[in-house]
Amino acid sequence: MHDAATTSRMRGLAELVTIVTEAPWTLSRTHRDRSHEAGLGDEDILHAIMLSSYFGHLNRIADVVAVPLDYQVQVEPPHADPSVEPWPTAPGPVVGRLAIELERRPTTANALAAWRSHAFERNAPLTRRQRHVIARWVALWLGDGGISRPDDLTANPLDDDLRILAEQVTLAPWKLDDRSFDRLRASGFDDAALFDACVVASTAGVLSRITVALTALGRERS
Amino acid sequence: MGLTIIGHEAATGVLRDIYDRMLERPLPAVYRPAHGRAPGIIQAHSLDPELIGKVFGTSSTLNGAGPLSWPERELVNALTSRLNQCFY
Repeated sequence: MHDAATTSRMRGLAELVTIVTEAPWTLSRTHRDRSHEAGLGDEDILHAIMLSSYFGHLNRIADVVAVPLDYQVQVEPPHADPSVEPWPTAPGPVVGRLAIELERRPTTANALAAWRSHAFERNAPLTRRQRHVIARWVALWLGDGGISRPDDLTANPLDDDLRILAEQVTLAPWKLDDRSFDRLRASGFDDAALFDACVVASTAGVLSRITVALTALGRERS
Repeated sequence: MGLTIIGHEAATGVLRDIYDRMLERPLPAVYRPAHGRAPGIIQAHSLDPELIGKVFGTSSTLNGAGPLSWPERELVNALTSRLNQCFY
Protein backbone atom coordinates (compact mmCIF):
# COMPACT_ATOMS: atom_id res chain seq x y z
CA MET A 1 0.00 0.00 0.00
CA HIS A 2 2.60 2.54 1.04
CA ASP A 3 5.17 1.71 -1.58
CA ALA A 4 7.55 4.30 -2.97
CA ALA A 5 5.35 5.11 -5.97
CA THR A 6 2.32 5.75 -3.74
CA THR A 7 4.32 7.99 -1.43
CA SER A 8 5.70 9.93 -4.37
CA ARG A 9 2.20 10.53 -5.78
CA MET A 10 0.88 11.56 -2.36
CA ARG A 11 3.70 14.07 -1.93
CA GLY A 12 3.09 15.43 -5.42
CA LEU A 13 -0.61 15.83 -4.68
CA ALA A 14 0.10 17.57 -1.38
CA GLU A 15 2.34 20.11 -3.09
CA LEU A 16 -0.17 20.74 -5.86
CA VAL A 17 -3.16 21.08 -3.52
CA THR A 18 -1.31 23.46 -1.23
CA ILE A 19 -0.55 25.86 -4.07
CA VAL A 20 -4.01 25.53 -5.63
CA THR A 21 -5.57 26.44 -2.28
CA GLU A 22 -3.23 29.25 -1.29
CA ALA A 23 -2.03 30.97 -4.47
CA PRO A 24 -3.03 29.16 -7.70
CA TRP A 25 -1.54 31.89 -9.92
CA THR A 26 1.97 30.91 -8.77
CA LEU A 27 1.79 27.54 -10.53
CA SER A 28 3.91 27.10 -13.64
CA ARG A 29 5.08 24.50 -16.12
CA THR A 30 7.70 23.51 -13.56
CA HIS A 31 4.93 22.27 -11.26
CA ARG A 32 3.39 20.28 -14.07
CA ASP A 33 6.79 18.67 -14.76
CA ARG A 34 7.34 18.00 -11.06
CA SER A 35 3.91 16.39 -10.82
CA HIS A 36 4.74 14.16 -13.79
CA GLU A 37 8.02 13.17 -12.12
CA ALA A 38 6.03 12.30 -8.99
CA GLY A 39 3.99 9.84 -11.04
CA LEU A 40 0.95 12.06 -11.62
CA GLY A 41 -0.39 12.29 -15.17
CA ASP A 42 -2.34 15.21 -16.60
CA GLU A 43 -5.63 13.45 -15.79
CA ASP A 44 -4.53 13.12 -12.15
CA ILE A 45 -3.51 16.80 -12.04
CA LEU A 46 -6.86 17.88 -13.51
CA HIS A 47 -8.73 15.70 -11.01
CA ALA A 48 -6.74 17.09 -8.06
CA ILE A 49 -7.21 20.74 -9.09
CA MET A 50 -10.96 20.33 -9.64
CA LEU A 51 -11.45 18.30 -6.45
CA SER A 52 -9.47 20.66 -4.23
CA SER A 53 -11.23 23.71 -5.70
CA TYR A 54 -14.58 21.99 -5.18
CA PHE A 55 -13.78 21.05 -1.60
CA GLY A 56 -12.81 24.64 -0.90
CA HIS A 57 -16.48 25.46 -1.57
CA LEU A 58 -17.64 22.96 1.05
CA ASN A 59 -15.18 24.48 3.53
CA ARG A 60 -16.53 27.96 2.91
CA ILE A 61 -20.20 26.97 3.15
CA ALA A 62 -19.45 24.97 6.32
CA ASP A 63 -17.97 28.16 7.80
CA VAL A 64 -20.84 30.37 6.58
CA VAL A 65 -23.44 28.32 8.47
CA ALA A 66 -21.08 27.03 11.22
CA VAL A 67 -22.08 23.45 10.41
CA PRO A 68 -21.81 20.99 13.32
CA LEU A 69 -19.79 17.80 12.82
CA ASP A 70 -21.84 14.72 11.90
CA TYR A 71 -19.87 12.31 14.03
CA GLN A 72 -17.99 11.85 17.28
CA VAL A 73 -14.27 12.42 17.04
CA GLN A 74 -11.59 10.93 19.24
CA VAL A 75 -9.19 13.77 18.65
CA GLU A 76 -10.61 17.27 18.73
CA PRO A 77 -9.74 19.04 15.45
CA PRO A 78 -7.60 22.15 15.81
CA HIS A 79 -9.67 25.29 16.19
CA ALA A 80 -9.49 27.89 13.47
CA ASP A 81 -7.21 30.77 14.36
CA PRO A 82 -8.99 33.96 13.21
CA SER A 83 -5.76 35.93 13.58
CA VAL A 84 -4.18 34.11 10.63
CA GLU A 85 -3.74 36.58 7.77
CA PRO A 86 -5.88 36.23 4.61
CA TRP A 87 -4.41 34.50 1.57
CA PRO A 88 -2.49 36.88 -0.71
CA THR A 89 -4.06 38.13 -3.94
CA ALA A 90 -2.74 37.70 -7.46
CA PRO A 91 -0.45 40.50 -8.68
CA GLY A 92 -2.13 40.42 -12.09
CA PRO A 93 -4.25 38.29 -14.39
CA VAL A 94 -3.06 34.89 -15.58
CA VAL A 95 -3.77 34.79 -19.29
CA GLY A 96 -3.32 32.14 -21.91
CA ARG A 97 -4.68 28.76 -22.86
CA LEU A 98 -5.50 26.11 -20.31
CA ALA A 99 -2.58 23.69 -20.05
CA ILE A 100 -5.08 20.87 -19.50
CA GLU A 101 -8.54 21.24 -21.04
CA LEU A 102 -11.64 20.89 -18.84
CA GLU A 103 -13.20 18.72 -21.55
CA ARG A 104 -10.85 15.92 -20.58
CA ARG A 105 -13.24 15.49 -17.63
CA PRO A 106 -16.57 16.13 -19.38
CA THR A 107 -18.93 14.96 -16.62
CA THR A 108 -17.34 17.38 -14.15
CA ALA A 109 -17.20 20.20 -16.72
CA ASN A 110 -20.94 19.74 -17.40
CA ALA A 111 -21.79 19.63 -13.68
CA LEU A 112 -19.81 22.83 -13.09
CA ALA A 113 -21.58 24.52 -16.01
CA ALA A 114 -24.98 23.72 -14.47
CA TRP A 115 -23.78 25.00 -11.10
CA ARG A 116 -22.43 28.17 -12.72
CA SER A 117 -25.79 28.87 -14.40
CA HIS A 118 -27.64 28.49 -11.12
CA ALA A 119 -25.25 30.82 -9.32
CA PHE A 120 -25.02 33.59 -11.91
CA GLU A 121 -28.15 33.56 -14.07
CA ARG A 122 -30.89 34.47 -11.58
CA ASN A 123 -32.33 37.73 -10.34
CA ALA A 124 -33.18 36.81 -6.74
CA PRO A 125 -32.28 37.05 -3.94
CA LEU A 126 -29.25 38.89 -5.38
CA THR A 127 -29.65 40.74 -8.66
CA ARG A 128 -27.79 39.45 -11.67
CA ARG A 129 -25.64 42.56 -11.57
CA GLN A 130 -24.67 41.95 -7.95
CA ARG A 131 -23.69 38.39 -8.87
CA HIS A 132 -21.40 39.68 -11.59
CA VAL A 133 -19.88 42.32 -9.34
CA ILE A 134 -18.94 39.60 -6.83
CA ALA A 135 -17.63 37.22 -9.52
CA ARG A 136 -15.44 39.90 -11.01
CA TRP A 137 -13.89 40.78 -7.67
CA VAL A 138 -13.18 37.13 -6.95
CA ALA A 139 -11.63 36.73 -10.40
CA LEU A 140 -9.42 39.74 -9.75
CA TRP A 141 -8.17 38.40 -6.39
CA LEU A 142 -7.42 34.96 -7.83
CA GLY A 143 -5.81 36.22 -11.05
CA ASP A 144 -8.52 34.97 -13.42
CA GLY A 145 -7.77 36.84 -16.63
CA GLY A 146 -10.91 35.54 -18.32
CA ILE A 147 -13.12 38.05 -16.52
CA SER A 148 -12.78 41.83 -16.86
CA ARG A 149 -11.66 43.96 -13.93
CA PRO A 150 -14.49 45.38 -11.81
CA ASP A 151 -13.17 48.97 -11.99
CA ASP A 152 -15.79 50.11 -14.48
CA LEU A 153 -18.67 49.21 -12.20
CA THR A 154 -20.34 52.05 -10.38
CA ALA A 155 -19.46 51.56 -6.76
CA ASN A 156 -22.18 52.12 -4.19
CA PRO A 157 -22.22 51.29 -0.46
CA LEU A 158 -24.08 48.01 -1.01
CA ASP A 159 -21.54 46.86 -3.64
CA ASP A 160 -18.81 47.67 -1.15
CA ASP A 161 -20.44 45.55 1.54
CA LEU A 162 -20.87 42.68 -0.91
CA ARG A 163 -17.21 42.98 -1.86
CA ILE A 164 -16.12 42.91 1.78
CA LEU A 165 -18.13 39.74 2.47
CA ALA A 166 -16.91 38.12 -0.76
CA GLU A 167 -13.34 38.98 0.17
CA GLN A 168 -13.63 37.17 3.48
CA VAL A 169 -15.33 34.16 1.89
CA THR A 170 -12.59 33.97 -0.75
CA LEU A 171 -9.42 34.90 1.09
CA ALA A 172 -10.04 34.23 4.79
CA PRO A 173 -13.03 31.93 5.32
CA TRP A 174 -11.71 31.07 8.80
CA LYS A 175 -12.51 34.64 9.86
CA LEU A 176 -16.24 34.31 9.03
CA ASP A 177 -18.47 34.91 12.03
CA ASP A 178 -21.78 36.62 12.73
CA ARG A 179 -20.15 40.04 12.45
CA SER A 180 -19.33 39.25 8.82
CA PHE A 181 -23.03 39.67 8.01
CA ASP A 182 -23.85 42.75 10.11
CA ARG A 183 -23.48 45.41 7.44
CA LEU A 184 -25.56 43.61 4.82
CA ARG A 185 -28.17 42.68 7.44
CA ALA A 186 -28.45 46.38 8.27
CA SER A 187 -29.20 46.96 4.56
CA GLY A 188 -32.10 44.51 4.74
CA PHE A 189 -30.41 41.27 3.64
CA ASP A 190 -32.06 38.22 5.23
CA ASP A 191 -30.30 34.88 5.69
CA ALA A 192 -31.33 33.62 2.24
CA ALA A 193 -29.84 36.71 0.58
CA LEU A 194 -26.68 36.53 2.67
CA PHE A 195 -26.32 32.84 1.82
CA ASP A 196 -26.79 33.67 -1.85
CA ALA A 197 -23.99 36.25 -1.67
CA CYS A 198 -21.66 33.71 -0.04
CA VAL A 199 -22.57 31.04 -2.59
CA VAL A 200 -21.90 33.40 -5.48
CA ALA A 201 -18.48 34.26 -4.04
CA SER A 202 -17.66 30.63 -3.32
CA THR A 203 -18.84 29.42 -6.72
CA ALA A 204 -16.85 32.16 -8.46
CA GLY A 205 -13.89 31.00 -6.38
CA VAL A 206 -14.24 27.39 -7.50
CA LEU A 207 -14.47 28.35 -11.16
CA SER A 208 -11.73 30.99 -11.14
CA ARG A 209 -9.39 28.80 -9.08
CA ILE A 210 -9.69 25.95 -11.57
CA THR A 211 -9.20 28.28 -14.55
CA VAL A 212 -6.22 30.06 -13.01
CA ALA A 213 -4.48 26.87 -11.86
CA LEU A 214 -4.89 25.15 -15.24
CA THR A 215 -3.76 28.24 -17.14
CA ALA A 216 -0.79 28.94 -14.86
CA LEU A 217 0.46 25.35 -15.31
CA GLY A 218 1.21 26.18 -18.95
CA ARG A 219 3.38 29.21 -18.23
CA GLU A 220 7.15 29.08 -18.04
CA ARG A 221 7.11 30.52 -14.55
CA SER A 222 5.04 32.86 -12.44
CA MET B 1 -23.82 31.14 15.13
CA GLY B 2 -23.69 31.33 11.37
CA LEU B 3 -26.53 31.58 8.86
CA THR B 4 -29.67 29.46 9.29
CA ILE B 5 -29.62 25.70 8.73
CA ILE B 6 -33.05 24.14 8.14
CA GLY B 7 -32.57 20.68 9.62
CA HIS B 8 -33.94 17.44 8.23
CA GLU B 9 -36.86 17.20 10.67
CA ALA B 10 -37.85 20.84 10.14
CA ALA B 11 -37.62 20.63 6.34
CA THR B 12 -40.78 20.56 4.25
CA GLY B 13 -41.66 20.46 0.57
CA VAL B 14 -38.86 20.53 -1.96
CA LEU B 15 -36.10 20.67 0.66
CA ARG B 16 -37.47 17.64 2.52
CA ASP B 17 -37.69 15.68 -0.73
CA ILE B 18 -34.10 16.57 -1.56
CA TYR B 19 -32.86 15.51 1.89
CA ASP B 20 -34.73 12.21 1.57
CA ARG B 21 -33.35 11.64 -1.92
CA MET B 22 -29.83 12.42 -0.74
CA LEU B 23 -30.12 9.62 1.81
CA GLU B 24 -30.79 7.19 -1.01
CA ARG B 25 -27.52 8.05 -2.78
CA PRO B 26 -25.06 5.18 -2.99
CA LEU B 27 -22.49 6.12 -0.35
CA PRO B 28 -19.81 4.04 1.36
CA ALA B 29 -20.95 3.23 4.92
CA VAL B 30 -18.12 5.28 6.38
CA TYR B 31 -19.65 8.46 4.92
CA ARG B 32 -23.12 7.80 6.38
CA PRO B 33 -23.68 9.85 9.55
CA ALA B 34 -24.77 7.84 12.58
CA HIS B 35 -27.63 10.30 13.16
CA GLY B 36 -29.37 8.84 10.11
CA ARG B 37 -30.31 12.20 8.61
CA ALA B 38 -28.90 13.99 5.59
CA PRO B 39 -25.22 14.79 6.18
CA GLY B 40 -24.53 18.17 7.76
CA ILE B 41 -22.73 19.52 4.72
CA ILE B 42 -25.87 18.93 2.63
CA GLN B 43 -28.05 20.58 5.29
CA ALA B 44 -25.55 23.48 5.24
CA HIS B 45 -26.99 24.33 1.80
CA SER B 46 -30.62 24.36 3.03
CA LEU B 47 -31.25 28.03 2.22
CA ASP B 48 -30.93 27.24 -1.51
CA PRO B 49 -32.46 23.81 -2.13
CA GLU B 50 -31.91 23.95 -5.88
CA LEU B 51 -28.20 24.47 -5.32
CA ILE B 52 -27.91 21.14 -3.48
CA GLY B 53 -28.32 19.14 -6.68
CA LYS B 54 -25.76 21.27 -8.50
CA VAL B 55 -23.11 21.05 -5.79
CA PHE B 56 -23.48 17.40 -4.94
CA GLY B 57 -23.94 16.48 -8.59
CA THR B 58 -20.47 17.95 -9.06
CA SER B 59 -19.26 16.03 -6.03
CA SER B 60 -20.40 12.74 -7.55
CA THR B 61 -18.28 13.34 -10.64
CA LEU B 62 -15.19 14.07 -8.51
CA ASN B 63 -15.50 11.89 -5.41
CA GLY B 64 -17.11 8.90 -7.08
CA ALA B 65 -14.58 8.38 -9.86
CA GLY B 66 -10.85 8.29 -10.64
CA PRO B 67 -8.23 8.55 -11.81
CA LEU B 68 -7.18 9.53 -8.26
CA SER B 69 -7.72 6.64 -5.87
CA TRP B 70 -10.03 6.92 -2.87
CA PRO B 71 -7.09 7.49 -0.44
CA GLU B 72 -5.67 10.11 -2.80
CA ARG B 73 -9.03 11.91 -2.99
CA GLU B 74 -9.24 11.88 0.80
CA LEU B 75 -5.77 13.40 0.98
CA VAL B 76 -6.80 16.20 -1.40
CA ASN B 77 -10.00 16.90 0.57
CA ALA B 78 -8.43 16.72 4.03
CA LEU B 79 -5.44 18.87 3.09
CA THR B 80 -7.68 21.48 1.46
CA SER B 81 -9.77 21.63 4.65
CA ARG B 82 -6.69 21.94 6.82
CA LEU B 83 -5.24 24.76 4.73
CA ASN B 84 -8.58 26.56 4.83
CA GLN B 85 -8.62 26.00 8.63
CA CYS B 86 -11.98 24.29 8.33
CA PHE B 87 -13.31 21.61 10.69
CA TYR B 88 -15.28 19.96 7.95
